Amino acid sequence: MHIPDGFLPLWESAIFWLISLVFVARSIKWASKELDEKSVPLFGVLGAGIFAIMSMNVPIPWGTSGHMVGGPLVSIIFDSPWAGVLLITLVLIVQGLFFADGGLVVMGANIFNMGIITSFVGYYVFKMLKNVSIPVAAFAAGWTGVFLAAIACAIELAIAGTFPLDKGLMYMGLYHAVIGIIEGVITAVVVSYLSSVRPDLIKGLNKVISNG
Amino acid sequence: MDKMDKIIYGGLIIAFLISILSPFLASTNPDGLESTAEKVINEKVLHQNLEEIGLKEEGSVIPAPMPDYGIEGMGKIGEIIALVVGTMIALGLTYGLSKVLVKNKSSQYNQ
Repeated sequence: MHIPDGFLPLWESAIFWLISLVFVARSIKWASKELDEKSVPLFGVLGAGIFAIMSMNVPIPWGTSGHMVGGPLVSIIFDSPWAGVLLITLVLIVQGLFFADGGLVVMGANIFNMGIITSFVGYYVFKMLKNVSIPVAAFAAGWTGVFLAAIACAIELAIAGTFPLDKGLMYMGLYHAVIGIIEGVITAVVVSYLSSVRPDLIKGLNKVISNG
Repeated sequence: MDKMDKIIYGGLIIAFLISILSPFLASTNPDGLESTAEKVINEKVLHQNLEEIGLKEEGSVIPAPMPDYGIEGMGKIGEIIALVVGTMIALGLTYGLSKVLVKNKSSQYNQ
Protein backbone atom coordinates (compact mmCIF):
# COMPACT_ATOMS: atom_id res chain seq x y z
CA MET A 1 0.00 0.00 0.00
CA HIS A 2 3.06 2.27 -0.25
CA ILE A 3 2.07 5.18 -2.49
CA PRO A 4 4.94 6.14 -4.85
CA ASP A 5 5.79 9.73 -5.75
CA GLY A 6 3.72 10.78 -8.74
CA PHE A 7 0.42 9.34 -7.53
CA LEU A 8 -0.53 12.43 -5.51
CA PRO A 9 -0.15 16.09 -6.52
CA LEU A 10 2.14 18.31 -4.45
CA TRP A 11 -0.66 20.17 -2.67
CA GLU A 12 -2.23 16.94 -1.42
CA SER A 13 1.15 15.47 -0.43
CA ALA A 14 1.83 18.64 1.57
CA ILE A 15 -1.49 18.42 3.42
CA PHE A 16 -0.79 14.80 4.44
CA TRP A 17 2.74 15.68 5.55
CA LEU A 18 1.26 18.38 7.80
CA ILE A 19 -1.39 16.08 9.28
CA SER A 20 1.09 13.26 9.81
CA LEU A 21 3.73 15.49 11.38
CA VAL A 22 1.22 16.54 14.04
CA PHE A 23 0.57 12.87 14.84
CA VAL A 24 4.25 11.93 14.76
CA ALA A 25 5.11 14.79 17.11
CA ARG A 26 2.40 13.58 19.48
CA SER A 27 3.75 10.01 19.25
CA ILE A 28 7.24 11.21 20.21
CA LYS A 29 5.67 12.96 23.18
CA TRP A 30 3.91 9.69 24.09
CA ALA A 31 7.20 7.77 23.94
CA SER A 32 9.06 10.27 26.08
CA LYS A 33 6.30 10.11 28.71
CA GLU A 34 5.02 6.54 28.67
CA LEU A 35 7.78 4.33 27.33
CA ASP A 36 10.00 2.87 30.05
CA GLU A 37 13.57 1.57 30.01
CA LYS A 38 12.37 -2.05 30.09
CA SER A 39 10.30 -1.63 26.90
CA VAL A 40 13.14 -0.20 24.79
CA PRO A 41 14.49 -3.60 23.60
CA LEU A 42 10.95 -4.75 22.77
CA PHE A 43 10.33 -1.56 20.76
CA GLY A 44 13.59 -2.18 18.89
CA VAL A 45 12.90 -5.82 18.14
CA LEU A 46 9.41 -4.95 16.89
CA GLY A 47 10.97 -2.34 14.58
CA ALA A 48 13.34 -4.95 13.14
CA GLY A 49 10.66 -7.66 12.91
CA ILE A 50 8.06 -5.45 11.28
CA PHE A 51 10.57 -4.11 8.74
CA ALA A 52 11.49 -7.70 7.84
CA ILE A 53 7.97 -9.07 7.65
CA MET A 54 6.80 -6.14 5.53
CA SER A 55 9.23 -7.40 2.86
CA MET A 56 7.53 -10.78 2.70
CA ASN A 57 4.74 -10.35 0.17
CA VAL A 58 2.25 -13.19 0.29
CA PRO A 59 0.35 -14.09 -2.88
CA ILE A 60 -3.38 -13.42 -2.84
CA PRO A 61 -5.84 -14.22 -5.67
CA TRP A 62 -6.02 -12.18 -8.93
CA GLY A 63 -2.23 -12.19 -9.42
CA THR A 64 -1.81 -9.77 -6.55
CA SER A 65 0.16 -9.89 -3.30
CA GLY A 66 0.23 -8.20 0.08
CA HIS A 67 2.17 -7.94 3.29
CA MET A 68 1.72 -7.16 6.93
CA VAL A 69 1.87 -3.54 8.18
CA GLY A 70 2.06 -3.97 11.95
CA GLY A 71 0.38 -0.85 13.35
CA PRO A 72 -2.38 -2.78 15.16
CA LEU A 73 0.10 -5.27 16.67
CA VAL A 74 2.43 -2.60 18.07
CA SER A 75 -0.50 -0.57 19.42
CA ILE A 76 -1.98 -3.60 21.18
CA ILE A 77 1.36 -4.60 22.76
CA PHE A 78 2.09 -1.09 24.04
CA ASP A 79 -1.56 -0.31 24.84
CA SER A 80 -1.41 2.90 22.83
CA PRO A 81 -2.04 3.80 19.19
CA TRP A 82 0.81 6.31 19.51
CA ALA A 83 3.28 3.42 19.79
CA GLY A 84 2.09 2.11 16.43
CA VAL A 85 2.24 5.57 14.85
CA LEU A 86 5.84 6.08 15.98
CA LEU A 87 7.14 2.63 15.12
CA ILE A 88 5.48 2.35 11.68
CA THR A 89 6.64 5.90 10.83
CA LEU A 90 10.24 4.89 11.56
CA VAL A 91 9.90 1.74 9.43
CA LEU A 92 8.35 3.76 6.56
CA ILE A 93 11.25 6.24 6.75
CA VAL A 94 13.75 3.38 6.38
CA GLN A 95 11.76 1.87 3.48
CA GLY A 96 11.38 5.20 1.68
CA LEU A 97 14.92 6.53 2.19
CA PHE A 98 16.92 3.37 1.53
CA PHE A 99 14.71 1.20 -0.67
CA ALA A 100 12.47 3.58 -2.66
CA ASP A 101 9.45 1.72 -1.27
CA GLY A 102 6.96 4.57 -1.09
CA GLY A 103 7.93 8.05 -2.25
CA LEU A 104 9.43 10.74 -0.07
CA VAL A 105 7.07 13.52 -1.24
CA VAL A 106 4.02 11.34 -0.50
CA MET A 107 5.47 9.85 2.69
CA GLY A 108 3.05 11.91 4.78
CA ALA A 109 0.15 10.07 3.14
CA ASN A 110 1.83 6.71 3.69
CA ILE A 111 2.39 7.57 7.36
CA PHE A 112 -1.26 8.62 7.57
CA ASN A 113 -2.60 5.38 6.04
CA MET A 114 -0.24 2.70 7.33
CA GLY A 115 0.93 4.36 10.55
CA ILE A 116 -1.98 6.40 11.86
CA ILE A 117 -5.10 4.65 10.50
CA THR A 118 -3.95 1.05 11.07
CA SER A 119 -2.80 1.90 14.60
CA PHE A 120 -5.83 3.85 15.75
CA VAL A 121 -8.42 1.60 14.11
CA GLY A 122 -6.61 -1.57 15.21
CA TYR A 123 -6.15 -0.33 18.76
CA TYR A 124 -9.78 0.62 19.33
CA VAL A 125 -11.18 -2.49 17.63
CA PHE A 126 -9.00 -4.61 19.93
CA LYS A 127 -10.06 -2.62 22.97
CA MET A 128 -13.72 -3.08 22.07
CA LEU A 129 -13.46 -6.83 21.53
CA LYS A 130 -10.76 -8.00 23.95
CA ASN A 131 -13.25 -9.17 26.54
CA VAL A 132 -14.88 -11.41 23.93
CA SER A 133 -11.70 -13.25 23.00
CA ILE A 134 -8.08 -12.12 22.70
CA PRO A 135 -7.33 -13.89 19.37
CA VAL A 136 -10.61 -12.78 17.80
CA ALA A 137 -10.04 -9.20 18.95
CA ALA A 138 -6.46 -9.22 17.62
CA PHE A 139 -7.53 -10.67 14.26
CA ALA A 140 -10.32 -8.11 13.90
CA ALA A 141 -7.90 -5.30 14.84
CA GLY A 142 -5.43 -6.32 12.14
CA TRP A 143 -8.03 -6.90 9.46
CA THR A 144 -10.03 -3.71 10.07
CA GLY A 145 -6.90 -1.57 10.37
CA VAL A 146 -5.52 -2.64 6.99
CA PHE A 147 -8.91 -2.59 5.25
CA LEU A 148 -9.72 0.96 6.36
CA ALA A 149 -6.19 2.16 5.56
CA ALA A 150 -6.73 0.87 2.00
CA ILE A 151 -10.10 2.62 1.80
CA ALA A 152 -8.45 5.87 2.94
CA CYS A 153 -5.72 5.35 0.35
CA ALA A 154 -8.34 4.90 -2.39
CA ILE A 155 -10.10 8.10 -1.31
CA GLU A 156 -6.80 10.04 -1.32
CA LEU A 157 -6.07 8.80 -4.85
CA ALA A 158 -9.62 9.69 -5.93
CA ILE A 159 -9.21 13.23 -4.56
CA ALA A 160 -6.00 13.41 -6.58
CA GLY A 161 -7.86 12.22 -9.66
CA THR A 162 -5.31 9.42 -10.07
CA PHE A 163 -7.94 6.70 -9.45
CA PRO A 164 -11.68 6.90 -10.12
CA LEU A 165 -13.54 6.80 -6.79
CA ASP A 166 -15.85 3.83 -7.43
CA LYS A 167 -13.36 1.47 -9.08
CA GLY A 168 -10.50 2.59 -6.86
CA LEU A 169 -12.57 1.81 -3.78
CA MET A 170 -13.72 -1.49 -5.23
CA TYR A 171 -10.29 -2.86 -6.15
CA MET A 172 -8.43 -1.43 -3.15
CA GLY A 173 -11.21 -2.71 -0.86
CA LEU A 174 -11.36 -6.14 -2.47
CA TYR A 175 -7.60 -6.74 -2.49
CA HIS A 176 -7.11 -5.47 1.04
CA ALA A 177 -10.06 -7.41 2.41
CA VAL A 178 -7.89 -10.43 1.54
CA ILE A 179 -4.53 -8.86 2.49
CA GLY A 180 -6.11 -7.89 5.84
CA ILE A 181 -6.43 -11.60 6.64
CA ILE A 182 -2.61 -11.85 6.63
CA GLU A 183 -2.43 -8.90 9.04
CA GLY A 184 -5.20 -10.35 11.20
CA VAL A 185 -3.68 -13.84 11.44
CA ILE A 186 -0.16 -12.63 12.30
CA THR A 187 -1.53 -10.11 14.82
CA ALA A 188 -3.66 -12.83 16.46
CA VAL A 189 -0.79 -15.36 16.55
CA VAL A 190 1.73 -12.93 18.08
CA VAL A 191 -0.71 -11.42 20.59
CA SER A 192 -2.00 -14.86 21.65
CA TYR A 193 1.56 -16.19 22.01
CA LEU A 194 2.76 -13.23 24.05
CA SER A 195 -0.35 -13.24 26.20
CA SER A 196 0.22 -16.89 27.08
CA VAL A 197 3.98 -16.75 27.80
CA ARG A 198 4.36 -13.17 28.97
CA PRO A 199 0.99 -11.52 29.63
CA ASP A 200 2.80 -8.70 31.43
CA LEU A 201 4.45 -7.71 28.13
CA ILE A 202 1.09 -6.88 26.60
CA LYS A 203 0.31 -3.69 28.39
CA GLY A 204 -3.30 -3.63 27.18
CA LEU A 205 -3.98 -6.91 28.96
CA ASN A 206 -2.51 -5.88 32.30
CA LYS A 207 -5.33 -3.46 32.78
CA VAL A 208 -7.95 -6.13 32.11
CA ILE A 209 -6.34 -8.36 34.71
CA SER A 210 -5.64 -5.73 37.35
CA ASN A 211 -9.06 -4.12 36.96
CA GLY A 212 -10.61 -7.51 37.52
CA MET B 1 18.60 -15.76 30.50
CA ASP B 2 15.21 -14.58 31.70
CA LYS B 3 12.04 -14.83 29.66
CA MET B 4 12.23 -11.23 28.44
CA ASP B 5 15.66 -11.88 26.95
CA LYS B 6 14.32 -15.00 25.27
CA ILE B 7 11.55 -13.06 23.59
CA ILE B 8 13.91 -10.27 22.51
CA TYR B 9 16.54 -12.65 21.11
CA GLY B 10 13.89 -14.95 19.65
CA GLY B 11 12.29 -11.97 17.94
CA LEU B 12 15.63 -10.82 16.54
CA ILE B 13 16.40 -14.29 15.21
CA ILE B 14 12.99 -14.43 13.53
CA ALA B 15 13.50 -10.94 12.03
CA PHE B 16 16.86 -11.84 10.50
CA LEU B 17 15.62 -15.26 9.34
CA ILE B 18 12.77 -13.55 7.51
CA SER B 19 15.25 -11.07 5.94
CA ILE B 20 17.34 -13.97 4.63
CA LEU B 21 14.39 -16.07 3.43
CA SER B 22 12.20 -13.29 2.08
CA PRO B 23 14.09 -12.92 -1.26
CA PHE B 24 13.27 -16.60 -1.94
CA LEU B 25 9.77 -16.77 -0.48
CA ALA B 26 8.18 -13.39 -1.14
CA SER B 27 5.73 -13.12 -4.00
CA THR B 28 6.80 -10.87 -6.87
CA ASN B 29 3.18 -10.23 -7.84
CA PRO B 30 2.20 -6.56 -7.70
CA ASP B 31 0.71 -5.49 -4.35
CA GLY B 32 -2.87 -4.34 -3.86
CA LEU B 33 -2.15 -0.71 -4.75
CA GLU B 34 -0.04 -1.59 -7.81
CA SER B 35 -2.70 -4.03 -9.05
CA THR B 36 -5.39 -1.40 -8.65
CA ALA B 37 -3.21 1.15 -10.45
CA GLU B 38 -2.69 -1.23 -13.38
CA LYS B 39 -6.46 -1.42 -13.83
CA VAL B 40 -7.75 2.06 -13.06
CA ILE B 41 -4.98 4.68 -13.10
CA ASN B 42 -5.63 7.95 -14.93
CA GLU B 43 -2.47 8.31 -17.01
CA LYS B 44 -3.06 11.98 -17.70
CA VAL B 45 -3.21 12.86 -13.99
CA LEU B 46 -0.20 10.65 -13.27
CA HIS B 47 1.74 12.42 -16.01
CA GLN B 48 0.81 15.86 -14.63
CA ASN B 49 1.88 14.88 -11.12
CA LEU B 50 5.15 13.40 -12.36
CA GLU B 51 5.90 16.57 -14.32
CA GLU B 52 5.22 18.64 -11.22
CA ILE B 53 7.97 16.83 -9.27
CA GLY B 54 10.29 16.23 -12.22
CA LEU B 55 10.10 12.44 -12.40
CA LYS B 56 9.88 10.24 -15.51
CA GLU B 57 7.94 7.47 -13.81
CA GLU B 58 6.41 6.92 -10.40
CA GLY B 59 8.88 6.07 -7.64
CA SER B 60 10.82 8.36 -5.36
CA VAL B 61 12.13 11.89 -5.92
CA ILE B 62 15.47 11.04 -4.31
CA PRO B 63 17.29 7.95 -5.59
CA ALA B 64 17.55 5.28 -2.89
CA PRO B 65 20.77 3.30 -2.40
CA MET B 66 19.03 -0.09 -2.61
CA PRO B 67 15.92 0.39 -4.76
CA ASP B 68 13.35 -2.42 -4.60
CA TYR B 69 15.26 -4.14 -1.80
CA GLY B 70 18.15 -5.19 -4.00
CA ILE B 71 21.66 -4.22 -5.05
CA GLU B 72 22.24 -3.79 -8.76
CA GLY B 73 23.95 -6.76 -10.36
CA MET B 74 24.03 -8.85 -7.20
CA GLY B 75 20.87 -10.92 -7.66
CA LYS B 76 19.52 -12.84 -4.70
CA ILE B 77 22.64 -12.21 -2.59
CA GLY B 78 22.10 -8.48 -3.09
CA GLU B 79 18.48 -8.85 -1.97
CA ILE B 80 19.52 -10.71 1.17
CA ILE B 81 22.15 -8.05 1.97
CA ALA B 82 19.61 -5.28 1.34
CA LEU B 83 17.04 -6.82 3.67
CA VAL B 84 19.53 -7.70 6.40
CA VAL B 85 20.96 -4.16 6.26
CA GLY B 86 17.42 -2.74 6.29
CA THR B 87 16.46 -4.84 9.30
CA MET B 88 19.59 -3.61 11.10
CA ILE B 89 18.81 0.03 10.26
CA ALA B 90 15.19 -0.42 11.44
CA LEU B 91 16.44 -2.02 14.65
CA GLY B 92 19.00 0.74 15.22
CA LEU B 93 16.49 3.50 14.55
CA THR B 94 13.64 2.15 16.72
CA TYR B 95 15.95 1.03 19.53
CA GLY B 96 18.11 4.15 19.35
CA LEU B 97 15.29 6.68 19.25
CA SER B 98 13.27 5.03 22.03
CA LYS B 99 16.44 4.75 24.15
CA VAL B 100 17.15 8.47 23.71
CA LEU B 101 13.54 9.43 24.52
CA VAL B 102 13.47 7.25 27.65
CA LYS B 103 16.86 8.54 28.76
CA ASN B 104 15.73 12.15 28.46
CA LYS B 105 12.77 11.31 30.65
CA SER B 106 14.83 9.68 33.40
CA SER B 107 17.30 12.57 33.38
CA GLN B 108 14.38 14.95 33.87
CA TYR B 109 13.23 12.96 36.87
CA ASN B 110 16.70 13.00 38.37
CA GLN B 111 16.95 16.77 38.30
